[in-house]
Amino acid sequence: METEDRSGAAIVFPGMGAMSFEDVGKFMLVNPYARKLLATADEVLGYSVIDGFRDAEHDYAEASQVAFLINCLALAQWAEAQLGLDPMLCAGPSFGSKATTAYTGCLSVEDTVLMSARIARCQDEYFAKEHTDIVTHSFVRTPTERLTEILGEMDERDWWHDMACYVDDDMHMVSLREDALEWFKERVRGAGGLSLYTMRPPLHSSAFAALRRKAEEEVFAGLSFADPRIPVVSDHDGTLLRTGDQIRNLLLDGIVRQLRWPLVVDTLRAQGVGTVHVAGPDSLFGRVRRTTDNFEVVRLTPRMALRPRAAADRT
Amino acid sequence: MWDQQFEATLRKHLPYLGDDEELSGGAELRDLGLDSMGTVELLSDLEKTYGLRFVDDALNLETFATPDTLWSALSGLRAANA
Repeated sequence: METEDRSGAAIVFPGMGAMSFEDVGKFMLVNPYARKLLATADEVLGYSVIDGFRDAEHDYAEASQVAFLINCLALAQWAEAQLGLDPMLCAGPSFGSKATTAYTGCLSVEDTVLMSARIARCQDEYFAKEHTDIVTHSFVRTPTERLTEILGEMDERDWWHDMACYVDDDMHMVSLREDALEWFKERVRGAGGLSLYTMRPPLHSSAFAALRRKAEEEVFAGLSFADPRIPVVSDHDGTLLRTGDQIRNLLLDGIVRQLRWPLVVDTLRAQGVGTVHVAGPDSLFGRVRRTTDNFEVVRLTPRMALRPRAAADRT
Repeated sequence: MWDQQFEATLRKHLPYLGDDEELSGGAELRDLGLDSMGTVELLSDLEKTYGLRFVDDALNLETFATPDTLWSALSGLRAANA
């Protein structure tokens, strides 16, 4: 039941997007929270994360994923110290669930870094051999009803597809075979939609159950999850998670379950959240209408944290 | 050459372009800070400003590559709507 009081604050760790070294490198090298986290990550992984990130051959390389995680956590720590951030709830869509795990104390930073790096390796190994023809495509201005018609056409043709993300009312991501991509883009355009980008490896599909099992055996077997210090909103169904086991499942289920950001928004509203602090190099979740129409959004960015006298970007 | 409305609308979505910097027709908009969500917001702004809707071939990220490509697509849509 929705409360009238909307004075609460939440922290949101964004899903991972392409992040250039030019945009965040300086922050990572000069911000004291980022430097400390980097030193920890270097120690745990046995290599220089910043060097690996700078020299990475693609946007989602292991070092880039760890660098993204460090940026998110450093910005949250900075905001607590400098802006008095004290959230009542935490959410972390997609990759953001990893920063959520460390921030809420379910795992130490050391274990979260190691887990993130190992998941990255696990995914690379898996998708090098499996589902090599599947991509995840994102697009906007295509209402769910119109999208349903397009997916129905694919069913009639017996073409495999799976919804990966419900990002906004008219923004979605769909996994499909690469040889159907051009057809799909044409249909999206015909519906008045705009295709944005196509990702490989793909995301969030029940077809990847074998990857979930592999990650559980190879990455999660030795990890013990404490209960989160604040409740976490599931990005799969909007439920509130309060135990370590639930967070462990959240991370693993992220491989096979769809992301449903609108349900996260609904839960945050119902819990009395009026302000969301998006901690990290976000290019999506803090900017879609579902978020900006429902909350005051404070975007905690590397650029903001580098200002001599920091003031929040409010939108 | 484009009109003032176009440049004013476009500049709002280019965080890396200074107020006193010239906007050249061949500038890569991505380099000036126009990311995917920025493109979506710019598309919506242009549709409101000019009272039209981007359709068909104009609904493509290549349309938003440079000020020239965008103005060309917009001009085509305006002519079609005239």
